[in-house]
Amino acid sequence: MNGAMNRKLLFVLGPVTAVVMFVAVVLIATFLTNREYREPYRAPAATVDATPRDTGLVDERADAEAKAKATIYQEAEYRTFPVVGSRVAIWAVAQLHLLFAAFVLAVPLFAFIIEVIGYRTGDPRYDRLAHEFTKLLSVSFSLTATFGAFLTFMLIALYPRFTNYLMSVFSPTFLPYVLLFFAEAFFLYTYYYGWGKFHPRVHLALGFCLNLVGTAIMFIANAWLTFMMSPNGVSDTGAVISVWDAVYNFTWMPINIHRVIANVAFGGSVAAAYAAFKFLQAESDEERAHYDWMGYIGNFIAIIAFLPLPFAGYWLASEIYAYSQTLGLTMMGGAFSWLFIIQAVLIGNLFLAANYYLWLGMGRVEGVQPLQKFIKYLLIGIALCFMVWATPRSIIATVSELRAMGGSAHPVLGFLGVMSAKNTAVNILILTTFMSFLLYRRTGKIAAVAWAKAGHAAQLAIFASVAIFVIFLGVYGYFVEASVRIGLSVPQVSSVLFAMVSITAIDVFLFRGAKRTGEVRWGKIPAISQYVLIFIAVTFTWLMGLMGYVRSGLRQHWHVYGVIRDNSADAFTPTLGFATQVVSVTVLLFFLLIGVVFWITSLHERAEYRAVVPSPERVPQTGGHIVLGGAVRERHTNRLS
Amino acid sequence: MTIPVGPRIGVLVLATTAFYGYVGQMVPQNEVQPPAPILIRADLTTDEMVDVGREIAEGKGLCRTCHTMGQTGALRFPDFAGVAARAAERVPGLTDIEYLAQSMYEPDRYIVPGFNPGMPTINRPPIALTDQEILCVIAYLQSLGGTATVTLQTAHNYYKPPAAAPGAPGAPGGAPPAGAPPDQTAPGEPQPLAAPPAEKAPPPGTAVAPAVPTAPAAPATGGVAR
Repeated sequence: MNGAMNRKLLFVLGPVTAVVMFVAVVLIATFLTNREYREPYRAPAATVDATPRDTGLVDERADAEAKAKATIYQEAEYRTFPVVGSRVAIWAVAQLHLLFAAFVLAVPLFAFIIEVIGYRTGDPRYDRLAHEFTKLLSVSFSLTATFGAFLTFMLIALYPRFTNYLMSVFSPTFLPYVLLFFAEAFFLYTYYYGWGKFHPRVHLALGFCLNLVGTAIMFIANAWLTFMMSPNGVSDTGAVISVWDAVYNFTWMPINIHRVIANVAFGGSVAAAYAAFKFLQAESDEERAHYDWMGYIGNFIAIIAFLPLPFAGYWLASEIYAYSQTLGLTMMGGAFSWLFIIQAVLIGNLFLAANYYLWLGMGRVEGVQPLQKFIKYLLIGIALCFMVWATPRSIIATVSELRAMGGSAHPVLGFLGVMSAKNTAVNILILTTFMSFLLYRRTGKIAAVAWAKAGHAAQLAIFASVAIFVIFLGVYGYFVEASVRIGLSVPQVSSVLFAMVSITAIDVFLFRGAKRTGEVRWGKIPAISQYVLIFIAVTFTWLMGLMGYVRSGLRQHWHVYGVIRDNSADAFTPTLGFATQVVSVTVLLFFLLIGVVFWITSLHERAEYRAVVPSPERVPQTGGHIVLGGAVRERHTNRLS
Repeated sequence: MTIPVGPRIGVLVLATTAFYGYVGQMVPQNEVQPPAPILIRADLTTDEMVDVGREIAEGKGLCRTCHTMGQTGALRFPDFAGVAARAAERVPGLTDIEYLAQSMYEPDRYIVPGFNPGMPTINRPPIALTDQEILCVIAYLQSLGGTATVTLQTAHNYYKPPAAAPGAPGAPGGAPPAGAPPDQTAPGEPQPLAAPPAEKAPPPGTAVAPAVPTAPAAPATGGVAR
């Protein structure tokens, strides 16, 4: 034992002695060199300054101080962030802040809806589910606030003049914002920590207030960013005329509505991804059943919120056009037009993945065979719509190919690249996904009401007539002038909404007291379905990043469109390839951080850490494991005992 | 060997973001620079103005974002091909120059049947073309199906060049003579005011750069100094 210890000591002492000796040699050499005799330097007589050295140094210092004091204050317009530049730095931080903010706003909304369902149905599973989602909140809330503060400091540091302008316009909104923020913290923590501690109605009221305050905060922040895109209430030179008009600018309310809906969809998809993560880690059938159900609910709410999102998008786009045709056409026909092809790929993937998950989910239910035969038709419909939506108006081609086509638009496919075709495709896509939901909803059930046959026929008739009507308007759009064609999207959207509402209404009554042909076997779903849920969450997050870029990038070389010009080195609009790289990196960072949130949230499920002071005679039996403070983990203790 | 769930999810997230990043590389890659200031020499000829106007229309002016060239069918905005001939006859009482100027300074004053309003005011932000740049764009539009006649000394309802005395007839093809109906304004509606020359004249050294004797001759194709 002692021999071994001595050998270890020698291994350590050897290098230490070598280092000490080396340092000693260097110090001695330096000491001797510094004291070596050197011939003093004598300046030539002509260059000798009459002023004594000390006086000269004092004069120099005084001059430098006087110059420093006389420096005129100049406000910096921009500062540069190292390596990636100011724009990319702000972009990444803002995007991370917005993603977490969306999550923090969405989860309470989501939890509140589920808690209400649980309260009304009396099913404790809903309450447990809502509570489980709320556990993700406190860590996310801190991260959101941290990124918000980081963004503010970055803006002040990197874009001081522009930030100063924005603050001067919106200064009256800051105090309400801060007060609401305090209120949100209060409601959030009482909602979370008060779970099961209050009467259910009091707790629901807390959840309602949390959502109300959170939404109000978002509305205020939306005013700042929408003002940058569609400024209002200021003079041509930017002087404030009306703060309320600056808040209530053209795109404020469309963005508010769009974000509320998108937040629900985003929150649902991330919550479903969390459930998928837990499902894949589950070790018992009971756990798998719970997390399968949780993932289903999360995805269900995400897709339900996702369906009306394109309509909110229409409204936003129409307001952008109403504010400035130039802005609208830059978005849809100019520098950003190709971005919408990327968006089409994303949304097509989302629809395809959501439908695939539903189709996989049908397998959970006994007696699904009669409905599964419809899936292939739905798949064909979705694939066709996806193809139309992703068809660009102008094709990237060589000069000879362009000559052969007679222009940048393909003679046949070019017709699918215009809005008439794309509006039609997206409306049919929504209708098809809705039908997938309907099929899933009625899986394992047979309508038992007397008018069942007529009800089915009415649903089919509504679906078919709306699909034909939407396609007819799409084709008709090719033959009318612009002023008429633009208006055709309204009846297309309205008819699809009508179909969704009316068919659902019929379905609710049709399947009241329905006969069950089989039970839902939660947890009996292929594992790949859980990866589909994660894929949906990543795709949704990426889509948010992309659309955030187009909203912000549309201003091009303007901080505030048409009012405050961007004179920085980053005033140019980058390529879409570069933008997508930034979005990808930001999304990866977000999921890395969300992984940390999930991990921190899961800590409370871990076994308690128990400090045990090992008795001296037992220590050797552990193989010499000495833990700081004399504590060992419980499992070590178990091994010992 | 079974790969743990964490790395599998990590690979899925990485692959998904990489895929979308890859899709982003597949579309055309255009980096759009802010419009550079255009300096227009005072002695620009009409032919040179056409070239400058074309460059402005395709760049800083953003005209070609909305207006097509030589396309027919259900268009969103009027096509540029042959616009010169249509401009001369579109509104009774307005010359082609007056009509084209009105469509840029007061675009909502007259909307071509079958189209929606939507043209931005071109001399205000965000496009903010100067009076001289607008004259160049007019020259370019006149050349599309017609002959450009406008010069930098041409006056119209929205602009009087510093050299032209108030009320003096404009250059060939320029402003209508005094007394001619200025536009289709309804009775009682305020007339568009032509700002006094001192106000409308561009700031020195910005828009109109006086010909500098020592400056090299402008290239025949453009005359745009950047």
